[in-house]
Amino acid sequence: MVVSVILSSCKTDYDTDVATLVITSGEADFSNYVALGNSLTSGYRDDALFINAQEESYPNIIAQQMKRAGGGTFTQPLMLDNIGGFSNLNMMGKLTLKVVDGDLSPVPTPATSPFTPISGAFNNMGVPGAKSFHLLVEGYGNPDLHEIGSRRSNPYFARFASSPLTSVLKDAMAKKPTFFSLWIGNNDVLSYATSGGVGMDRTGNLDPRTYGYEDITDPQVLKASIKGVLDGLKAVDATKGVIANIPNVENIPFFTTIPTNYLTPYVLGKKNQAQGEVMIDQLNQSLYGVLNQVLTQLGHGDRIKPLSKTKANPFLMKDETLEDLSNQISVALSPVLGVQTARVFGMIFGQARQTKEGDLILLTTKNDIGKQPDKQQYPYAQQPLNAYGITFPLQDKHVLIPSEITAIKNATTAYNTHIKQLADDYGLAFVDANAKMKSLSQNSGIQFDGVRYTTSFATGGAFSLDAVHLTGRGYAVIANEFIHAINVRYQSTLPKVNPNKYSGIQFP
Amino acid sequence: MKKLLITVSLLAGIAVYAGGFRVSLQGVKQLAMAHTSAHADDASVAFFNPAGISFIPAKFSIVAGGFAVQTKVNYQNRENLGNYNTNNPLGTPIYAAVAYKPVDNFSLGFSFTTPFGSTIDWGSDWAGKELVHKMSLKSFFFQPMVSVKLAPWVSLGASYIYAKGQVDWTRSITQLGGTMNIKDTEAKGHGFTMGFYFRPDEKLDLSVAYRSPVDMKAEKGIATFNVSPTLYPRLGLDSQGKDKFKATLPLVEEYTLAASYQLTPQWKVSADFNYTLWSQYNRLIVDFENAVVGNQIADPTLSITPKNFQNTKTLRVGTEYHFNHKIAGRAGWYFDESPYSNNWFIPETPSFNMNVVTAGLGLKFGNLGIDLAGAMAFAKHRVFNNTYYNFSGQAKLKAFYAGLGLSYNIK
Repeated sequence: MVVSVILSSCKTDYDTDVATLVITSGEADFSNYVALGNSLTSGYRDDALFINAQEESYPNIIAQQMKRAGGGTFTQPLMLDNIGGFSNLNMMGKLTLKVVDGDLSPVPTPATSPFTPISGAFNNMGVPGAKSFHLLVEGYGNPDLHEIGSRRSNPYFARFASSPLTSVLKDAMAKKPTFFSLWIGNNDVLSYATSGGVGMDRTGNLDPRTYGYEDITDPQVLKASIKGVLDGLKAVDATKGVIANIPNVENIPFFTTIPTNYLTPYVLGKKNQAQGEVMIDQLNQSLYGVLNQVLTQLGHGDRIKPLSKTKANPFLMKDETLEDLSNQISVALSPVLGVQTARVFGMIFGQARQTKEGDLILLTTKNDIGKQPDKQQYPYAQQPLNAYGITFPLQDKHVLIPSEITAIKNATTAYNTHIKQLADDYGLAFVDANAKMKSLSQNSGIQFDGVRYTTSFATGGAFSLDAVHLTGRGYAVIANEFIHAINVRYQSTLPKVNPNKYSGIQFP
Repeated sequence: MKKLLITVSLLAGIAVYAGGFRVSLQGVKQLAMAHTSAHADDASVAFFNPAGISFIPAKFSIVAGGFAVQTKVNYQNRENLGNYNTNNPLGTPIYAAVAYKPVDNFSLGFSFTTPFGSTIDWGSDWAGKELVHKMSLKSFFFQPMVSVKLAPWVSLGASYIYAKGQVDWTRSITQLGGTMNIKDTEAKGHGFTMGFYFRPDEKLDLSVAYRSPVDMKAEKGIATFNVSPTLYPRLGLDSQGKDKFKATLPLVEEYTLAASYQLTPQWKVSADFNYTLWSQYNRLIVDFENAVVGNQIADPTLSITPKNFQNTKTLRVGTEYHFNHKIAGRAGWYFDESPYSNNWFIPETPSFNMNVVTAGLGLKFGNLGIDLAGAMAFAKHRVFNNTYYNFSGQAKLKAFYAGLGLSYNIK
């Protein structure tokens, strides 16, 4: 009796054991969950789609939790192997880390499986590369290799499209979902961003048939497209679901890993500090000093300044928004360099400046630094003016300049306003992916059970080797956001997952 | 003197204790009475209060004993349904002591105990793997001592503590796809104990004792990183993936106030109050030689982790009844506080507020004494959220102890 008195006053056991928790679906019906979206929805990571990645897609993670509350089987259009890509379409397989020149670098794997259509109506209908309006395009999944080659058709949809002329929406409607998720709009601005802003901002142009792939979609077009998808689903009684908004590009490591000041003597000297310092002296004497003098005379001395031997230096880049001083440079340098050389200088550096705070350097630019520019495109990129970023300016495709970033930001903000409005109008659960990415990109990141997640490249844990798509862990973090939003909106009690249980970057 | 068999292994590890990693198991007879300490029957009093050896009713006394400690901790998480149990090895704290009274008012003694320790094994794939897979802390205290009777009813004693220790801690480094282990088998520390023991009349014993902090210094630590060798240069490791480290663990100071009273010639009641100054353990500093795996911006080889332990109180009540001159029965209860609050819960040293019920038997065969003890802990489960790690959930503990001790007194 004494023992029981002590026991009862002690509460040695939990109030509720997790094994006895009942998981409910609340007002929702999870029996047939269909996921719509782009690469982020398909599980794409390390620049490819492959089986292990698809198994850790956020819809698959959510579906496993839904199984405890009446969720049905969740099928995905699995690729043929764990490499991805399409061997007959010149599309490479996944990136893996390899030691290159003594440093760990992501290296693509050649694809070993060809593009192979599979049949079935799949629950995960995420299509890598899809923009908002693509979900409504009939023929977007045409398996004809000519259509694919001309980019009228997308092989990732063509793999599982029910017919050559169907659309993603039509196939989704045919599946008669009881619940759906929709995360689309990233590519509407990201394709412009990852190309370095070489495309056009199509804001004001309401006809997507005129767009190039690297253009920014007009926000009204995005809104109408998403509305079209939601109306289509509504027509087959799929009225319950969750929608997510778009992260900002400056929270994605693809744009934030290479700093604007990168060229240290150590880097310039190819890991030799002393050699780098000698090189800086030579560059200042033969190029930077000359350019700075000329530009100062022309009243634009702040465009290019001599290199420092004690600090990291900016890159040389071409900014097409600058006043073109080609002729003036040419004229000013003729007496010093001779007419021919002065003309070349003028052509190359007419709109050149150094990168500065406010520019964003693409991760892929790293591969071009110091390299010879393509001679066909830039015939005047001759010795010694032939090292990208150092003696030859980085081009539009390498850098996002402030005006391009503003266009991206304006589009993203407009998209997100529309997405939130549509979520409210259609009574859907809403995921603020934009806010989540913002917290992840703070210096301290986010912790889960002592494991720190940041947006740092390779060691941050959340982003995969392509620095745009997430790792298994990153997708699990997003899945938890979706689960939380679903639980809030539909009073379900879906359990979250532990992100640390999923895969991160593999080191060799 | 009969030969004593000490077959228990020198594994002094014990899994979990209410008081952080303090293992209050230094006397089997004492454990049976809720580990109260105002008992000067044999040399086992040496650890509790060096002054007590002056009141041992023998010229020469020797004791030895050991315990078996079985613990299991469970962790669950209601958000993601995680549920994990430890698989802790049996803990086996041991002790031995000897006391010699060449003249009536002067005694010499020596005590060997393992008063701090902890072995927890969560396995390599549980929710808190980034904090700990398995951790083992061991300490060995060697205490020579003297005690002087200032008057027939009071003695003053003091001991020097020479401590040796070991740490072996494995945890994950999840974002680098591997694990790390820190190990030092040669940690050392020093301290002292002192106390007064009073016997104002033959019914009442009073013990006042103090043990100083013993700062266990690990100066020869080796950190081993089980990650891709391509990461060794970036992390500052040698070609084997190792680095050296230094760390200090405070084995904190403790005050004890104890009393025993003979209600009748057969029946004794005892009570103890311990005050342990755990607040000295407010952070753990691990200083790596080259590895840049620390968390200080100014020095990336330095890792400083807040622990924020708090001082704790323990209340013990015990009793002993001699059925005849051969057999005595013992029982007790004590309440032990955890040294940290719910937002500082750490799975490498899980700790709970608990009530412990104890019982035991003492058998006397001439000069030889055989003591048996057992105890069962009733630990209050915890609902915790350590915001420093963003590690939250619930935990509960089951713990059983058993002890066997021998004593031999020569009058």
